[in-house]
Amino acid sequence: MNVSGRDDIVIRVESLDLAYGNHLVLKNISFEVRRGDCLVVMGGSGCGKSTLLKSMVGLLAPLRGKIIIDRDELWLNGDKKRKETLKKLGVLFQNGALWSSMTVFENVAMPLEIFTDLGVKEVENLVDYKLALVGLAGAGNFYPSELSGGMRKRAGLARAMAMDPEILFLDEPSAGLDPITSKRLDDLINELKESLGISFVVVTHELASIFDIADDSIFLDSESKEILAHGNPKDLLKENNLTKVRSFLERKTVNNS
Amino acid sequence: MPSSCDEKIPRIEHHQNNSDVSITICGYWSLNSRERLCLLRRWESLVLQWKDVLRFEIKCDESLVWDSSLVVFLRNANRDLSVNGGQVVFLDLPAGLNKLLNLADEGQKRNKEQKQDPPSDGFLSMEALLKPLDFLGALVISFLNLVRGRSVMRWRDFFASARNCSASALPIVTLISFLTGVTMAFVGSVQLEKFNATIYVADLVSLAMVREMGALMVAIIMAGRTGAAFAAELGNMNLNEEIDSLETFGICSVSFLVLPRTLALFVMTPLLTIYADIVGILGGLLVGTLVMGFSALHYLEQTQSALTDMWEVYSGVSKSLFFGLIIGFVGCYKGVFSGRDSASLGKSVTSAVVISVTLIIIADAFFETAFSLLELR
Repeated sequence: MNVSGRDDIVIRVESLDLAYGNHLVLKNISFEVRRGDCLVVMGGSGCGKSTLLKSMVGLLAPLRGKIIIDRDELWLNGDKKRKETLKKLGVLFQNGALWSSMTVFENVAMPLEIFTDLGVKEVENLVDYKLALVGLAGAGNFYPSELSGGMRKRAGLARAMAMDPEILFLDEPSAGLDPITSKRLDDLINELKESLGISFVVVTHELASIFDIADDSIFLDSESKEILAHGNPKDLLKENNLTKVRSFLERKTVNNS
Repeated sequence: MPSSCDEKIPRIEHHQNNSDVSITICGYWSLNSRERLCLLRRWESLVLQWKDVLRFEIKCDESLVWDSSLVVFLRNANRDLSVNGGQVVFLDLPAGLNKLLNLADEGQKRNKEQKQDPPSDGFLSMEALLKPLDFLGALVISFLNLVRGRSVMRWRDFFASARNCSASALPIVTLISFLTGVTMAFVGSVQLEKFNATIYVADLVSLAMVREMGALMVAIIMAGRTGAAFAAELGNMNLNEEIDSLETFGICSVSFLVLPRTLALFVMTPLLTIYADIVGILGGLLVGTLVMGFSALHYLEQTQSALTDMWEVYSGVSKSLFFGLIIGFVGCYKGVFSGRDSASLGKSVTSAVVISVTLIIIADAFFETAFSLLELR
């Protein structure tokens, strides 16, 4: 989806190296995300998917390389500028990471209260709308501990969308969900992508979700610590000859058959 | 070597032919078998005998019964026999045993490839020294932003923390302070009775409470109660990625989480100290009137005369301001930087209390020395 007059590339990652202390996790990672596309980061456990996401949302400084979000280089500028750039993003953490001392309503409302001058009624209307969008209308007064895993994730998604971000980062959105809830979440991602033009970066190894939501994908490899394959997962399934990528993607066909 | 594979004991048969050794595994291999341990000791001596052998063939008897003990034995045997350059060949192993051996080898190979250096404890490392200073700097900046009206701190969080660390703490502060006053009065009376100066118990209790004991007791209660609660609460938020999610919104976690808690303790600890001073003096009054037979008025007049210099009160209260800061800072620091597992959370809470109490005692000694040197006592 190309919005006229705006750059088509919304995220550009160039020659990125990531490490925890002396332990190198990823090296020489480069890719782009187009506006309105969903890029899926896939790979086996421990290959650095969540680490890459952490760096892209401003939680882990890279060892080397650039992350450019909508023309702003995330890690080059100071803390203040980075916080401004982060306002263009929304993040859904693996377990929702809702603020446990606040109700679902307060969780979604808080960024609006802090960063906008909206009145109480306007904030209320916006929060109701965001909660309705994720199918949680009427659940605003619940505390996170009173919600199921799927509801927590949807509430986390509503909070991530609170500030109308241009890009949403989702860390394993389907993990631990039953197939029906997982499918609903995938449908929601597709609807948001199509109707609002939001770009998505989704970390997952749920094959059903990957084929359902991805426009583009990268496959990370824990041995080489690099991108092993890059492209639409359906194309990768047809054309890629690397054993690791094929065995990862073909598990779906085995299960489906 | 005699062989009887019918018996429920593990056995190894071996035949040496020049530079080759053929080993046959037979019998009943079970983790519960006592004879297995004797066999393993004998195996060690056999390995020493075979250090010049170039080739080993290991095969299994058809009637072999086995469990994990045999898999472990074969893995170790392969390692022991290869040490001196011998070639180990497995022949006719049961299919399941072969699969398990391959699976374990693959797993070990994968682990070696992905082996990570364990993170250092960072004890007394440069990072361990600089991190608290960095955190303190962030707290000071957050406070300055609050003064300038640019902070994201929510006042309702401040009031909630203030209520938790003051009103909710009143019962325990009352009990401890009252009993401290009672104890000091009894201990003082024993000594003062020798000089026929028991009325000075009022001076002793009041001065000790306002100068030292009130502030110290409140600080220790706050460290154990509120400091530990801060560490646990923020540590749990860290564990659940709640702090990360604040940062991704561009919300400063120090301003949002640490400042209201530390500020609440900074404000409430002196108030609790004044309250503890009064309750402690009342404890002394109880002993003075009921046990020593003074009238309440006489006791209170004596207390008043002892506290004519208000600096005695101010010095205790001013110390408690710093104690509140120490408890808030240490509790929040330990919570925010706790690890991402429940064991680390427990350690953080424990160390928050231990470090707070230690720093409180050090700060108290520092203040008393400074007051003495500046002739303020």
